[in-house]
Amino acid sequence: MIREKRTVKQLIDLWQSDPKMQSRVQHIRVLDEKEATYASFPEQLHPSIRKALASRGIHQLYSHQREAFDYATADQSFTAVTPTASGKSLCYNLPVLQGIMENPQARALYLFPTKALAQDQKSEMNALIEAMDEEILCYTYDGDTAPGIRQKVRKAGHIVMTNPDMLHSGILPHHTKWVSLFENLKYIIVDELHTYKGVFGSHVGHVLRRLQRICHYYGSNPVFICTSATIQNPKELAEALTNTTHELIEKNGAPSGKKTFLFYNPPIVNETFGIRRSAILEVKDLAKKLYESEIQTIIFAKSRVRVEMLVTYLKSLTFQKIHDESVRGYRGGYLPSERRIIEKGLRDGTIQTVISTNALELGVDIGQLQACIMTGYPGNIASAWQQAGRAGRRQDDALIIYVAQSTALDQYVIQHPDYLLGNKPEEARVYPENMLILMDHLKCAAFELPFNQGDSYAEFDVDDLLTYLVEEKILLKTSETWHWMSDSFPAHDISLRSASQENVVIIDRTLTGKASVIGEMDRYSAMTLLHEEAIYIHQGTQYQVEELDWEEKKAYVKEVDVNYFTDANLAVELKVISEDKTMKLGKATASFGDVMTLATATIFKKIRFNTHDNIGSGPIHLPPEELHTSGTWLNFEQPTDWTDDDLNGAMLGVAYAMNSFIPLYIQSDRSDVHVVPQVKAIHNNQPTFFIYDRYPGGIGLSERVYDYWQSLIEHVYDHVESCSCQIGCPSCIGAQDQSGDAKDKVLHFLQSFLLEELMK
Amino acid sequence: MSYEKKILQMKQMLKKKSPTTEKEQPKFKKPNPPLYADAWDEVGLKKISNDWGTVFLKETHYDLDYQHGKYKLGQFYDALALWDQYEDEHPLKLTSDDLAIFYDTETTGLKGVGTHIFLNGLLEESPHGFTLKQYILADPANETAFLFESRFWQGEKTVITYNGKSFDWPQLQTRWTLNRQHLPPLKTQHQIDLFHSSKRIWKNDLGRMKLSMVEEQKLGFARIDDLPGYLAPIVYLDAVRSGEYEALFQVLTHNEYDLLSLITLFVQATQLVFSEVEKNNATVHTNIGKWYNDLKQSDRGIHLLEGISETYNEKEAAQANYLLANQQKRKKDFVSAAENYKKALPYLVERQWIDASIELAKLYEHQLDDLIDAETYTLNALYKVKSAKFYKKEVKSNKIAEIEKRFLRIRRKQGIK
Repeated sequence: MIREKRTVKQLIDLWQSDPKMQSRVQHIRVLDEKEATYASFPEQLHPSIRKALASRGIHQLYSHQREAFDYATADQSFTAVTPTASGKSLCYNLPVLQGIMENPQARALYLFPTKALAQDQKSEMNALIEAMDEEILCYTYDGDTAPGIRQKVRKAGHIVMTNPDMLHSGILPHHTKWVSLFENLKYIIVDELHTYKGVFGSHVGHVLRRLQRICHYYGSNPVFICTSATIQNPKELAEALTNTTHELIEKNGAPSGKKTFLFYNPPIVNETFGIRRSAILEVKDLAKKLYESEIQTIIFAKSRVRVEMLVTYLKSLTFQKIHDESVRGYRGGYLPSERRIIEKGLRDGTIQTVISTNALELGVDIGQLQACIMTGYPGNIASAWQQAGRAGRRQDDALIIYVAQSTALDQYVIQHPDYLLGNKPEEARVYPENMLILMDHLKCAAFELPFNQGDSYAEFDVDDLLTYLVEEKILLKTSETWHWMSDSFPAHDISLRSASQENVVIIDRTLTGKASVIGEMDRYSAMTLLHEEAIYIHQGTQYQVEELDWEEKKAYVKEVDVNYFTDANLAVELKVISEDKTMKLGKATASFGDVMTLATATIFKKIRFNTHDNIGSGPIHLPPEELHTSGTWLNFEQPTDWTDDDLNGAMLGVAYAMNSFIPLYIQSDRSDVHVVPQVKAIHNNQPTFFIYDRYPGGIGLSERVYDYWQSLIEHVYDHVESCSCQIGCPSCIGAQDQSGDAKDKVLHFLQSFLLEELMK
Repeated sequence: MSYEKKILQMKQMLKKKSPTTEKEQPKFKKPNPPLYADAWDEVGLKKISNDWGTVFLKETHYDLDYQHGKYKLGQFYDALALWDQYEDEHPLKLTSDDLAIFYDTETTGLKGVGTHIFLNGLLEESPHGFTLKQYILADPANETAFLFESRFWQGEKTVITYNGKSFDWPQLQTRWTLNRQHLPPLKTQHQIDLFHSSKRIWKNDLGRMKLSMVEEQKLGFARIDDLPGYLAPIVYLDAVRSGEYEALFQVLTHNEYDLLSLITLFVQATQLVFSEVEKNNATVHTNIGKWYNDLKQSDRGIHLLEGISETYNEKEAAQANYLLANQQKRKKDFVSAAENYKKALPYLVERQWIDASIELAKLYEHQLDDLIDAETYTLNALYKVKSAKFYKKEVKSNKIAEIEKRFLRIRRKQGIK
């Protein structure tokens, strides 16, 4: 192997003169460097904090750190937008330490979405405290905390770092053991705010409401300090999550170097189906070039398996050297000590390439590198920026390469680089009004402290709901108070992380006696993907479902090697229960309201790879799933020159494409919403597209789509039109019969019907 | 209708409040007695009213010759007399100077702030015998009154419980914290937890340490028609909702049995700790000897273990001999130590067998100067460790390395001689 050290700039120049690279790099964008903006230390900053900062060579603050300090010490809750490597921890650590130096009784509670992050921040905080040479106790409190020190943490910890799940089931229901924390709680730090969205975020919003209720009971009124990656609505999210008014710190004072973005599209290997060479293979080749140029690189891959593939391949570049550690994998579950080793290796140059899953997105600090490769679009702009933020040292040029996969989203992004770079990341939303989530946490809140008549629970007036819980024999009402009167422990029955309460567990029993759980799936998707005889593809391996135990929510699978996949039909009956909002869009009507869906999996087909021949089919016997949720729908008069069949086909194609696009608008996972087309909807007898939240009670996603119908349809058109396939492919309208003209029909439908006639 | 459907239909019931200025916490308002208060009073649950509200009390008196299982309650004083003579500290120690309270609660759940204590059972000495006071929570609004009557804020007491250190007392602390604006502070009372004592005494002798098991196997008391403990919460939850009291009496009886058994358990435990060795149960006596050793009262321990060694055959006394050897080694009585290890060796379980062999090897190498024996024991230990399945990988390799080192050193020493 020829190794020749190059700078990022030299490498880019070299690639620009390479015709093969030229054809694959579809866009190059450059972000200019930015100077730092500094501010002086606040006057009151405690001398031992100054001492600790000085020992790290810090003699002034970035402007946003100073702004954070000023808000916090004025008891104003705030949210700071902090890109990777902008010194965010000083935004909260400085006011917290100052508060404790001024009043040794003061306490702070830190919330991190994962245990690993809490561990990391604890090490950082303790290093700072050591440099201050003061008696400040900082602990993590989670499932790993030894029973022996738990009491000490509860009674004496100035700073307690934990996660929402532990707060929910391990701290709040036992608040009498934490009196000294709750009486003196001055700051609540919510790090990685942007991760609290959707169902999980809505749950966490309630956990924070319960926390505030308990603080109030003990007479404290803590200030919230939130930090977030760049999203569109950080202030709004923080306020909805914490039910508190926030100030926003948006201007970041940290410097950044010049960043060059390359948008790289793998070459097409199958013209008909528009299939491109596997992104992972392209990444291998690119990583090799960066390795040979001795450019420190981080590679993001979406799954552990892919990480391992890349590690194995890239390690083979170094196999001749014994004990060569220049290529390292990094997945979730690494210990802080292992991370320290990687960090050190990156600093002293012994490590050249790190390959990581998305675990590293979450603020874990392994320092800055020169280049970053994204294997595929991470699903939303905010994550893409977090990954890109890993590359770029203060003065150095940084190189970010986005390698597109064949999927709809990935191809859209490569065609529209401004979508990614146009500086408009997604919104993150929570929906604490969801009745089921609200009810869950109202139970927990009633367990934690009795409610008096007329008491509100956060912003909600709950007397009626509490009366209902009395009827359910969960609460007991004495003259004016509701008390918990049940032998259960509600927090144990409520998981913050699972969207649908009951998931189907997937169990691999290929090896008898060595059955192992390989994943889980919400029960709604399981109907079409895990029915008996279904081919389930898990990280590239084919499994056949041998048995689906619907009662126990278990799917037993066995590894197979077959030349077909399965495709199940889901018949969805949709009933509109109430219409809350409605508006005209040209001749079409968009509405929003409550819907009830009844989904039944009917039959499945076996479809051969490549040719897409139907080579068999079978019935599916599963009970229908009922879902009461919120939805939005768009209906219009049936076009006179279309047959029902043609219209049905076109609408199916459009729905397919819409399903893949909704995550662009509402920062959500693809499975959070569902699109259903109906040629004749029951409630209006018209062709109708329904989009509904796939979580009982809704989580506010379809309500967003209600405002976006027009641009959603425009984008669907643009995307299908620009897709390089000929007859429709999985990247646009779904796989089609080889002979069909489905793609043309879909385009025609979108263009001449929806867009031109209806939207004008 | 499904739960989900029901909840979602309540959506229109959800109202949002505009933020209002918080009203001040009102001063304590004495809660009303529950509607069923008089009915309960009539059937023997005395209605007591204090400054904080209402609480029910059932009081029962027992004479000193009241028989519970194989003991009379009066034997409690014989036990105290034994402890009065005992100069050192001991977890079971209770003297005539202490104010003893046997304490057991019944609760609505297992943990967390939403779990209420609904029954405080307190069994105390009284003129001519013992008196059981069972305070029943009138309803959750009357909790302050209920807690106040427990009198745990008053005086220096010794609280005797079964698993109270981890359950009853922390539960009481939780309830106290929630009512602390109104109550005098809860005193830190001295505690004797008979669950812990039972584990020390009957380890390897009783399969489970449930109180009912100890009663049946050791205290000669069998419960008839006893309400299973796990049903107690349901009975109470139902009683405060419906006002029905019948089933509640079953809970009271259950709690009464628990408390009476605590007295007799204390009596028996004391007898065992003090007794000279009789010919009945080597395991129990060995446990007690070990307990003394662990309390750093090794003279008592050695005395007891020597007694076992003399009274029982070598097989039954193997554990005692092994523990005795450990103590003798510590006291530098190397010859006796080696002798007792050797006596114990054929009957020890594998792990102890290995430890004993290593100890013997050490003794012969360093103190007794018999390198040939030292080598034999070293090799035996090495062979057993290598085939042992119960060590963790790391422990095992450390052990092997250690033994091999010893073996090489012994060989070297033999060479020099």
